[in-house]
Amino acid sequence: MWLPLLGLIFGVMLGVLTDIQIPSVYENYLSIAVLAALDTMFGGIRAQLQQVYDDKVFISGFFFNILLAAGLAFLGVHIGVDLYLAAIFAFGVRLFQNIAVIRRILLTKLDNRRLKKSENS
Amino acid sequence: MTKKMYRNITIVSFIIGFMLAVQYNTVQNPTERDTRDIWEIRQELSEEKKRHSELLSSINALSSTVNKYEDDEFDNPELLLQETVNDLKKQAGLLPISGPGVTLTIEPSQELIQFGYELKPISPDLLIRLTNDLYRNNAQAIEIDEKRLTYNSAIRDINGKTTINSEPIKKINFEINIIMQTYEQAQKLANHLLASSFQDEFFIDNLMLTVYDAEQNVRINSTVELQQSKYLVDK
Repeated sequence: MWLPLLGLIFGVMLGVLTDIQIPSVYENYLSIAVLAALDTMFGGIRAQLQQVYDDKVFISGFFFNILLAAGLAFLGVHIGVDLYLAAIFAFGVRLFQNIAVIRRILLTKLDNRRLKKSENS
Repeated sequence: MTKKMYRNITIVSFIIGFMLAVQYNTVQNPTERDTRDIWEIRQELSEEKKRHSELLSSINALSSTVNKYEDDEFDNPELLLQETVNDLKKQAGLLPISGPGVTLTIEPSQELIQFGYELKPISPDLLIRLTNDLYRNNAQAIEIDEKRLTYNSAIRDINGKTTINSEPIKKINFEINIIMQTYEQAQKLANHLLASSFQDEFFIDNLMLTVYDAEQNVRINSTVELQQSKYLVDK
């Protein structure tokens, strides 16, 4: 359970300590990639809670979403349309939806547990 | 199944964490591009060279003192110590000092007096600006209205009076003595002051700044008193 959180902390530490910086030109791509990755992770957590989790879908979704988002941003820069806004919008909406579903599932689980406890007593 | 899932989520969250940290780094401290051209770099280099030679000459002076100390044949270390103490006292403003320098006078402008304008003492802001400019031009010692400026001098407004070292400037017209390292520097400073906008700025405050030619021998008295504990004096 704590392993993913540990991974996150480890990643942040590695990034901060190595002090890697990317050129400001690519800043947009990275921000959109971060959003895509967050979206995939919350999607994965939701799928696990709904018991429809699939490894292949999760891993392929992670990399594919990142590439697609970065690709859209790249295309947008070259044809002069702010396509990265589309990606930000899509991922943002999905992120909220996923988190809402996760919250509801957790609330239902909590309610069920309380019900069981009161029945036992 | 769950083990594999946890492993995957951990890897993904690790990548996310890393990306977040990199993004944070990039946004917080954007890399500054070096946009100087060759002449700007040369100018900076020449300034550094100047600093280098200044440092070398001060190292030279210090090492000659060290040599004197280490010289066994020199049988009067007390004299040498006294010399060092005197040097330090001069730096701290405890001893009078003289050398090549410039004298400035500040007085109310005559035509304004005749027209009956109100005479106001000099504002601390203007005085601070002037002293900053003097120090920027390598002034060694400055005395304003017979009050020596030292490292811990303060020029400020106390109850509407401009004070230096907590003593008010009493006169409307007073002198500023500046001592420089060399006569050439003193000449340069006098020319700099004449060419700068200071005279105009003083005139805005109804004051007249007169810059005299550089002199070979300007004397600054020490007005700083050593604060000694009365309780430690032998009776």
